[in-house]
Amino acid sequence: MSRAAIARRELGSLSREKTIVLALLIQLVIAGFSSFLVVGLTSLYDPGAAEGDVVVGVTGEEADRLLAAAEPVDGLDARPYDPADAEAAFDRNEIQAIAAVERRGGRIAVTVDAPQTSLQKTLVVVQLRAALEELERTERSARSEHLSFQPVSVSVPASVDASPYFGFSYAVLLPLLVFLPVFIGGAVVVDSLTEEIERGTLELLRVAPTSLTEIVEGKAGVLAALAPIQVALWVLLLGLNEIAVANVPAILAFTTALSVVAVVFAAGLALAVPVRQRAQLSYSLGMLAAFAAAALLPEHPATTVALLAIDSATPTTYAHLGATVVAAIGAAAILRVQLAAVDAESLG
Amino acid sequence: MRPKTLLRIARWEATKGFGGLDRGAVAVGVAAVAFVLAVGVVGVVGGVAIEDGIYRVGVEEDSDLYGPVADDPAFAAVEPNPEAIDGGGLAAGGRYDLYVEDRPGGARLYLAESGGEPTEKSRAALAALRGSIDRYNDRRLSAEDNASAAFPVTVTVRYVERGGSEVVAAGDAGDASGADDGDSTTDGGAGGTDGSSGGGATGSDGGTTGTDTETTQGATGGDTEGPIGAPSLGAFDLFGTAGTTGTPSDIQPPFPFQSLVLAFLFVLPLNFLIQAYGSSMLSERLGRRGELLLVAPVGRADIVFGKTLPYAAASVSITVAIVAGLRLLGGEAGLLSVLAVAPLTLLFLATTFLGSLFARSFKELTFVTVTITTLLTTYAFVPAIFAETSAVAFVSPLTLAIKDLTGTAVTPGQFAFALGPPTLVGAICFFFGLGLYREEDLFTQRAIQHKALDALAERIRRPRSVAAVVVLLVPFVFVAELFAVALLFALPVAVSIPLVFAVIAVIEELAKGLPIYAGFAHDRYGRTLPVSLAVGAAAGIGFFLAEKLTLAVQLVGLPGSPVADAAFQTGFGAPTPGVIALLAFAPLALHVATSTVTAAGASRGRSTFVLGLCSAVLVHVAYNAAVVSRVV
Repeated sequence: MSRAAIARRELGSLSREKTIVLALLIQLVIAGFSSFLVVGLTSLYDPGAAEGDVVVGVTGEEADRLLAAAEPVDGLDARPYDPADAEAAFDRNEIQAIAAVERRGGRIAVTVDAPQTSLQKTLVVVQLRAALEELERTERSARSEHLSFQPVSVSVPASVDASPYFGFSYAVLLPLLVFLPVFIGGAVVVDSLTEEIERGTLELLRVAPTSLTEIVEGKAGVLAALAPIQVALWVLLLGLNEIAVANVPAILAFTTALSVVAVVFAAGLALAVPVRQRAQLSYSLGMLAAFAAAALLPEHPATTVALLAIDSATPTTYAHLGATVVAAIGAAAILRVQLAAVDAESLG
Repeated sequence: MRPKTLLRIARWEATKGFGGLDRGAVAVGVAAVAFVLAVGVVGVVGGVAIEDGIYRVGVEEDSDLYGPVADDPAFAAVEPNPEAIDGGGLAAGGRYDLYVEDRPGGARLYLAESGGEPTEKSRAALAALRGSIDRYNDRRLSAEDNASAAFPVTVTVRYVERGGSEVVAAGDAGDASGADDGDSTTDGGAGGTDGSSGGGATGSDGGTTGTDTETTQGATGGDTEGPIGAPSLGAFDLFGTAGTTGTPSDIQPPFPFQSLVLAFLFVLPLNFLIQAYGSSMLSERLGRRGELLLVAPVGRADIVFGKTLPYAAASVSITVAIVAGLRLLGGEAGLLSVLAVAPLTLLFLATTFLGSLFARSFKELTFVTVTITTLLTTYAFVPAIFAETSAVAFVSPLTLAIKDLTGTAVTPGQFAFALGPPTLVGAICFFFGLGLYREEDLFTQRAIQHKALDALAERIRRPRSVAAVVVLLVPFVFVAELFAVALLFALPVAVSIPLVFAVIAVIEELAKGLPIYAGFAHDRYGRTLPVSLAVGAAAGIGFFLAEKLTLAVQLVGLPGSPVADAAFQTGFGAPTPGVIALLAFAPLALHVATSTVTAAGASRGRSTFVLGLCSAVLVHVAYNAAVVSRVV
């Protein structure tokens, strides 16, 4: 019972300080920021976002070949030019780039002059690269008898457009939104416990009919429970943005397990090092270290989240999920055993 | 301030807890070592591939397409079961997103469909497969003996200034050295067959850098498998200069990707640093611990800067260490990077200092720290992305670090433009924070708004000192306005300009109104009409003078986008001298008038202050709409 009372009190202080609102806002900013980065950057490369075609003046003896290769590229308008005219047109901003195509030692050498200062130069280079890759493909197949390896190609039923953000949404954004609440939850447990110890209020709490185990479990329990709730909210929000997330129960179970592991680690640290500065530094460095070291696992936890969300889960994914749940239960059990052994008088 | 006491307090702060090896210090040490080791391990393993196996492809092992699928970590090759395509199509929700059926005439590809349309996932998988096939081909072909048949096209990209038609020397030099770097460090030997053409050698590098891109994509996070070909992040192409000569797939769009990632190295330690700093500052406030220092015969500034100095010094030494490390790896980082990170450090520390004075508990401090980290990182990064393309990039000091990393020169004007504002804002944060470093605010649980008023009122002695406080707030006004412009920039001009006017009116009136109100609330001057007039005039004049500093913004060359012009009302677009004069002094009248309205309200109490502020905002918006939109 007193565990629930502690939990309620903890939740009350979180909502009174409005830190939960702040936490959600921060996550929104981070999610928005990373999406902005990707969407903004992709639009720099996206031919559809530009006003009109990229116009390129093509010069040189082999100009015809590049002109032919540029034909199927959307948003690219390649025109034949005389070298002198091309420079003048480039200076007048009639063409955005000059491509000089020459034959040199059995190869086709293309020299591209793109504008030094222009937001468009990224797009110019991307569009020209598409044409040049097409040219390379044609030239390669013309010389295929000199090659021992025949390039692989694929015939596609029809031309299909893919959202360039698809992989990002599942492989970066969603894992980010799972790991942020988990990380912040543990950090708050460190704060909450070290503050009680540093202020000397833990002693007051212990005068009440509660044990140290109940106090720690009450505090840690609330924050462990908050992470999956936040993730559920993010999944809803993503759903509204037409990013459908599969296997939601499994993702929430994984989040809960991770969050239990994080708060147990945090609570253990806070009791072992009851000074906020040290405990918090060790916590954040330790969590980042664990996140990086998880690359040694057969599957990174972030990948587990991504695979579950995108519905490409493999047996390894589920094994991972199971192992994390077991680890969480184990961690909670160890914390309970350790708490029983802690001499509460020794804490400040 | 006395340097001797300051240094002594700094020594206490630095050696606190390091007297003996206590558990805390050991824990931090262990965690730090674990962190370094783990990052090292990830570096050796080759990055975190988050996109590992997100697309499932049914493909036979002897199929031509098996190679590209197996080589790309984004794909999981699954044993194909012909029953899946019995109906002539592949149903979504099964074991495959793509299915390769080998036929005598060539492979046929099936996309998972639902309702007759390929699913979004299968289309994304196909786009990824296309890129994967291209990389696979390039990789296999780089082993060919006949290099000119394998890579029949070589490309050189030069960036040229329009009008002059002459090749910019810096860009050209960069190209050349970039290609050389690539040759000497990553030449796999296969490229050596073609001596006459430099392109041949770099061409074969394409294969190796291609694989690098694969393994590091996940670690860098901000990239998709879409049309962005992330430049390689391999240790040998740290500075993104290579790749302007080579095969078509080698050329990369101009984007300082590596430099951005490297610049992140500079910002990362700051986040840990402010965590420790904030804790230390806040723990002074617990159990009246700070009182001992406060009653000692030392000044507040000595205490605050003494406690800050070790963290600032730690930041500088970490930056120097990173720069030295980059130089050892062959980078071009130098003094400029260190100078660029210094104001960021100041800004991080100053905002954390202010935050730790306002926070009521450790929990709140955690959120304050995370907010600071997020916002300041955004501020440092978003403009820096455009380092290669736009002058706006110099809003962020990190752009200087990127210029330094890519070996580009920076003019003194750009230098001042990038470093001045953050230094100023950091200094002002410390200045206001110092006002709060006293018993009443440190050890009591005062509401945040009261503390904010305390901080302002601490600097007000008489009506005219309001002007000075308003001047100090102007940098924050600019930050807020820039933020608003950045947020509203994307909207159509018809919507964004009125919104910008409204938001700016609110921000500017608040900046003038709050110090006025703080002065009245703390009884710094009498609540009479003459005093209201004097205070209003002081606030208006102070704001006007400081605002004219924006001319500096225009001089350094913030591009004349209509939104930026609306925000800063520089009036340079005006046609005649008369109009320019009018534009120069009309704002003075406006600011004095509106702040007098606010002052009249503030002199009576809180609710009349709000009323006065609202009327002042309305007047301001009306002025903006009437004058500025007609003239500019």
